[in-house]
Amino acid sequence: MPVESLLLKAHKINKSFGITRALKDADLELEYGQIHGLIGENGSGKSTLASIIAVIQPADSGEIFLDGQPYKPVDSLEAQRQGICMILQEKGTFDNLSVSRNIFIGKENFFSFGGMINIPRMNAAAQKILEKIHAGHIKAAWPITALSFEDRKLVEVARAMYAEPKVLIADETTTALSRNGREILYRIMRDMKKEGHSVIFISHDLDELINVCDSLTILRDGEYVKTFEKKEFVTSVIRHLMVGREVAGNYYRTDMDSCKNPETVFSMEHVYSQKLRDITFDLRKGEILGLGGLAECGMHEIGNIAFGLIPPDLGIVKAGDDKVVINPVKATSLGIAYLSKNRDTESLMTSANIVDNICLASYKKIQKNLFIWNKDEREFAKAWGKKLEIKMTNIHQYVIELSGGNKQKVALAKWLGFGADVLIMDYPTRGIDIGVKVNIYQLMTELKNQGKSIILISEELPEIIGMSDRIIILKDGRIKGEFSREEKVTECKLVDYMI
Amino acid sequence: MRFHMQNSLIGTSVIRRLNLKAIFPLLGLVFVVLFFGFGTKGLVFSKLSLQSMLNEAVYIFIGAIGYAFVLAQGNFDLSVGSVMGVACMTAAMATKINPYLALPVGIITGSIIGLINAFVIVKAGVMAFITTLAMSFMCTGLILIISNGAVVGAPLFMLKWYTVPLKLGVILTFGIAGFFAFERSYYGKISKAIGSSIEAVRQSGTNIVLFRILPFIILGTIAGLLGFISLIRTGTASSSTGSTLMLNVLNAALLGGIPFSGGTTSKFRSVIIGTLTITIMSTGMTILGTSTVNQQLIKGLVFLVTIALSFDRKNLKVIK
Repeated sequence: MPVESLLLKAHKINKSFGITRALKDADLELEYGQIHGLIGENGSGKSTLASIIAVIQPADSGEIFLDGQPYKPVDSLEAQRQGICMILQEKGTFDNLSVSRNIFIGKENFFSFGGMINIPRMNAAAQKILEKIHAGHIKAAWPITALSFEDRKLVEVARAMYAEPKVLIADETTTALSRNGREILYRIMRDMKKEGHSVIFISHDLDELINVCDSLTILRDGEYVKTFEKKEFVTSVIRHLMVGREVAGNYYRTDMDSCKNPETVFSMEHVYSQKLRDITFDLRKGEILGLGGLAECGMHEIGNIAFGLIPPDLGIVKAGDDKVVINPVKATSLGIAYLSKNRDTESLMTSANIVDNICLASYKKIQKNLFIWNKDEREFAKAWGKKLEIKMTNIHQYVIELSGGNKQKVALAKWLGFGADVLIMDYPTRGIDIGVKVNIYQLMTELKNQGKSIILISEELPEIIGMSDRIIILKDGRIKGEFSREEKVTECKLVDYMI
Repeated sequence: MRFHMQNSLIGTSVIRRLNLKAIFPLLGLVFVVLFFGFGTKGLVFSKLSLQSMLNEAVYIFIGAIGYAFVLAQGNFDLSVGSVMGVACMTAAMATKINPYLALPVGIITGSIIGLINAFVIVKAGVMAFITTLAMSFMCTGLILIISNGAVVGAPLFMLKWYTVPLKLGVILTFGIAGFFAFERSYYGKISKAIGSSIEAVRQSGTNIVLFRILPFIILGTIAGLLGFISLIRTGTASSSTGSTLMLNVLNAALLGGIPFSGGTTSKFRSVIIGTLTITIMSTGMTILGTSTVNQQLIKGLVFLVTIALSFDRKNLKVIK
């Protein structure tokens, strides 16, 4: 389609973060009055592409046209003036401000007179916007903290809609919304469409996209794959293109039996915390227990509490029979290890070399009569580096130079060398390419066969389904469902419990 | 393929940068040796000036060893000089009771102040910068209160304790113990790791509180010992005792190449190289006729330049 008849066209957009190429010549064409879905796996570049269009970050190269004209705003504020607004995936409200001030953040000048902000006028204007987006139940004068997370997201929607955008970008906005909130967002989108404006709608939920969107663009590994019109939507085809391989993937565990060992090695009893409500589960010897849910469901916090990084408000975390986990020192002494989902900031020292990282948890094991000799460190690091097939020039290479997958292998080598019996893996395959993912899955199977136990926390359902003996699904900090491997649950069924 | 290329490109540039940083302190030492060697026509390496260098080096070397542990964790301590001053003063007062009390009193004074520093920084969570600055003000006040503003003398026979074998013995003992503690012990390894990423160390199941408290106590104890050494060297304790220690010691550690942010790249050899550099510089300047006041000025400038050249300011959490 020629550029002139398109509302927005992004052409050959490239973006790299260090050595990771997030976008490779990605394209997107948006017609007038269209709800356009953007779909792809985690790390496929959806959010990056959207944030480049909203000028939240610059592209390395590529061009964008708006209304057929070259579009080159210097920052996101100018992008908003030109009619492109984005609702970010992350929380975007400011806790200490009122609803109206959150909506008009950065635009307080509209209501100021002689240096004073006319609060009543601002509140009235904010209320009008809230009414317009069908969220009149939120009062503009309220402090933002009085609102539920869902309503806070709607405040962000209101902020974006105030500018009356030609293009609204909603990045995973619906994940934070209930059915009611979603209806509000869908209605806004339909209203925009009537006015000839368009929406770029990002979601990982394919069924939702199929229902809502007029067309769908698939991204995979930062590359444009294909755009479908509504009449061409076929779930299986889209899913296949998204993943770029057979969806049933054969790189997970092949056996379909769950763990039958009755011996409990780890348990949580009635644990409450800021995000968690009455979490009780146990982990058996040789079991892989998958914890799934939305990113904010509390599963990552379970990992933290299980390792003693955060004390629970109520409840007990136990290893084995009666040994209580109170802090990471105690946890490791009980043979519990934890692999953080924040690899670079929490599980590794990126400015240190591979030897220092692998040995970090095991110095007490390596030391001989109070001395730690370089030779012993090197041998230890070499042995575990080899076991995990870390791609490195040598063991003295700095971790910062490694790819994400190899960094994760270093973090794993640290814990395997330590010899943990219970391994808590928080999103171990986050941002890792498929080759290393397969290595990690094989390693998990191997550990399981050795009688080690694993808690696998992940935002990727296929991996949880593929690897777990038992799956626990959480929603809003509560356990919503438990499934054993024999049940062969499907992704769709689990999603029902998650949302 | 492309990934690999970029990977190795970044790799070589990082390695190159690190190598340069590793060789930089040595170049500094060579420069200082040549500059003052020629500048003083070799006088800087005469027997007399070597003796004076030894006097200087005792303080700087063992002070810098203590400082290295604090720096390795990415922390620092601005109170080390004034702690030495207080320790010297309490040691001098103790000699009035019994001369043999001077050493234990000096050391205990230093370690108690170190313990207070450690507790406030680690347990109460006050920044090291603020805590130790405040501590140095308090120590200066304390010296004046104890001494009533006067210079306090020690019995003259104590000066005889300050012999060359003692100095060499202290340097050797601390050098060997410091090396093994810094490079070959659990404590040293974890200290450096804390400088690289405190969270990674915590999440490896290490009791970081203990490890963070220790260096301040060690440095305090060392400052206490230095107070005693100063007493038997000069025979007196005054409000100016220890006033140049802080700059010399910090300069030695940093000139030697310990990064201001600490971490696993910190090496014990930096302490040796840095001590030599600073000692030769001080003695050389004295021979060339630079007044003590001007020496302070020059050392301050060297300190600033070292920081500016070696430090990645983006990672600095203290000076915001």
